[in-house]
Amino acid sequence: MIYYAIEVMAPLLLAGLGGLFAELAGVLNIALEGMMLAGAFAAIVTASLTGSILAGMLGGLLAGLLLAYLFYFVGIRMRANIFIVGLAINLLAAGTIPFLSSAMFGTKGVLRLPNVPRMPGLFVGVETGFPLLDQILFGHSFGVYLTVPAVLLAGFVLRRTAFGLRLRSTGKNPETLRAVGLNPDRYRRAALLISGMGAGLAGSLLALRLGVYLPNVSAGRGWIALVTIYLGYKRPVGVLIAALCFALAEGVSVAAQGVLQIPGTLLLSLPYILTVVAMIVYSAMRRVAPSDA
Amino acid sequence: MSQSQPDSRMQVAVATIGAALLLTVLLLISVSSTPYAAVRAFFIGPFSNRFYLGNMLNVFSMLSITGLGMAVAFRAGVFNLGGEGQVYVSALTATVAGIALASLPALLGLPIALLVGVFTGAVIAGLSGLFRHLWDTDELITSFLIASASIPIVDYLIVGPLNDQASNLLTTERVPLAFRLPRLLAPSQLNPTLIIALLLLAAAYVALFRTVRGYEWRLSGLNRQFARYGGIHTGAYIVFPMLVSGALHGLAGGLFVYGTHYATLVGFTAGLGWNGIAVALIAKRHPLGVVPAAAAFAYLESGARIAMLHTDFTFELGTIIRAVIFLFVTASVLPKLGISTRVGRSIRLLFRGGSA
Repeated sequence: MIYYAIEVMAPLLLAGLGGLFAELAGVLNIALEGMMLAGAFAAIVTASLTGSILAGMLGGLLAGLLLAYLFYFVGIRMRANIFIVGLAINLLAAGTIPFLSSAMFGTKGVLRLPNVPRMPGLFVGVETGFPLLDQILFGHSFGVYLTVPAVLLAGFVLRRTAFGLRLRSTGKNPETLRAVGLNPDRYRRAALLISGMGAGLAGSLLALRLGVYLPNVSAGRGWIALVTIYLGYKRPVGVLIAALCFALAEGVSVAAQGVLQIPGTLLLSLPYILTVVAMIVYSAMRRVAPSDA
Repeated sequence: MSQSQPDSRMQVAVATIGAALLLTVLLLISVSSTPYAAVRAFFIGPFSNRFYLGNMLNVFSMLSITGLGMAVAFRAGVFNLGGEGQVYVSALTATVAGIALASLPALLGLPIALLVGVFTGAVIAGLSGLFRHLWDTDELITSFLIASASIPIVDYLIVGPLNDQASNLLTTERVPLAFRLPRLLAPSQLNPTLIIALLLLAAAYVALFRTVRGYEWRLSGLNRQFARYGGIHTGAYIVFPMLVSGALHGLAGGLFVYGTHYATLVGFTAGLGWNGIAVALIAKRHPLGVVPAAAAFAYLESGARIAMLHTDFTFELGTIIRAVIFLFVTASVLPKLGISTRVGRSIRLLFRGGSA
């Protein structure tokens, strides 16, 4: 179960870290879900065309990037309502993927394409003598190991670089940024593009681990990723811990589904319920202690 | 959302619908083996016979109610993005209530069943208003999330405990015969919902623009702080608009059951709530603007549905149309195309009218 949870955590974490940049720049990216879905679809198609896992991941990343640019262009440049645009991106992914899938491959259901390589595992068979530690550290699919540098990099960029400082002040007080002659829109664009890449890559991990594209493969994970940002107090390590908690919870609920016979349809509403509870708790706590966080 | 440039917002609405039309036609041409017939069906299909015309008018009446439900919330500066779920849940509770009250006379049973729907919608949306009022939790997000959480639960109830065993469809039992609203233009689905919708629009207009409470409602939407300095209890104008918005969606759910389908089917709301948001935004949040906006949307939806019969495979054309409309409808700046040629300037001039 620990092993499974770590596998589940990776896409959540990547999407959450990307979303963190957008959130800190003051743009709530609710289109993570759609970007993940697009990333998953693009990853399977590119992997099938090229026969390469890396190319598949790149394809997913680019799909997320493309939607993020659209988000930026309409939401920031054309000054549209960010939330409505985010919904539009989600709808666009949900509507366009079945269309492309049936136009290109003749099915809008499960997309099983030839030539998609298996996601390789790293450190398979390495043992330390502590089974728990082994489950956490070794034998995971390649994508999981991307999360370690991703967390470090996100922390470094946000805390220790001028770019990170400016990005955070874009969210806190864009006027300050404008006063020193910088354009907040450029930092919003950068943040959105980073979140698009994170979500696209996350989607590619979801799909490539399975080797097929399933309709609605993201199943609300984009929303969970959004919650990890709040629960992680908007810090990369916090997002890591929150994503791990959700992954463990998913492991437990999958196990519980078998034992307690909870219908699978009902589980679909779980991510949304968790998100709404997290948002309420977050805002209620912010009200109690309005100083920081 | 800028209020100061009504002309530019009008152009945005028109340009948005234009873009959606163009995309629809392009998609139809690209996937149909008989593109000419498909495009023709899209444009004139809805008017070609009583059946299609009546169905389009029925879509219009449903969208008017959900669109109005969104418009009244937007007017007060609160956002209800959970309409889809509110319609769906309310339809189910109204159905269950009607079946349970089957022994009552229709004149008593039907209003009670519809009120149960209204109440359900109001409670679901009202929760988001309450959270916003108590803890400043963004009602935009919570209303969306609560609705998204409730949809799978309703799906489960229809397929599971409340399933009609006699039918092979994914549906509840049908409501009592006596409770069903009459059909106005048989064999189409048109029913008295149309009249109810038009009355509601007129009532909302009067309430918002001809009463003191309506003035306070609108003022809270325009500038909440100013309204509070003016002595208006603005907290009430968060919770109350959400309640009214939810109630209208609840009514739409109930009427959809008793006027159109006579049962709750899995996924039968098919974007009624989402399209309501689009209608309200195109209508610039004005009750009377809802009429042309809902008409345009009903036409677009009906045309797309008829045209799909002429394509080689089905896809969610409605979802794509909706996505395009959402994408651009709230934009307040038309994109600079980056063309400095004479052609580019004249295109921009065309879009912006005399102001450029």
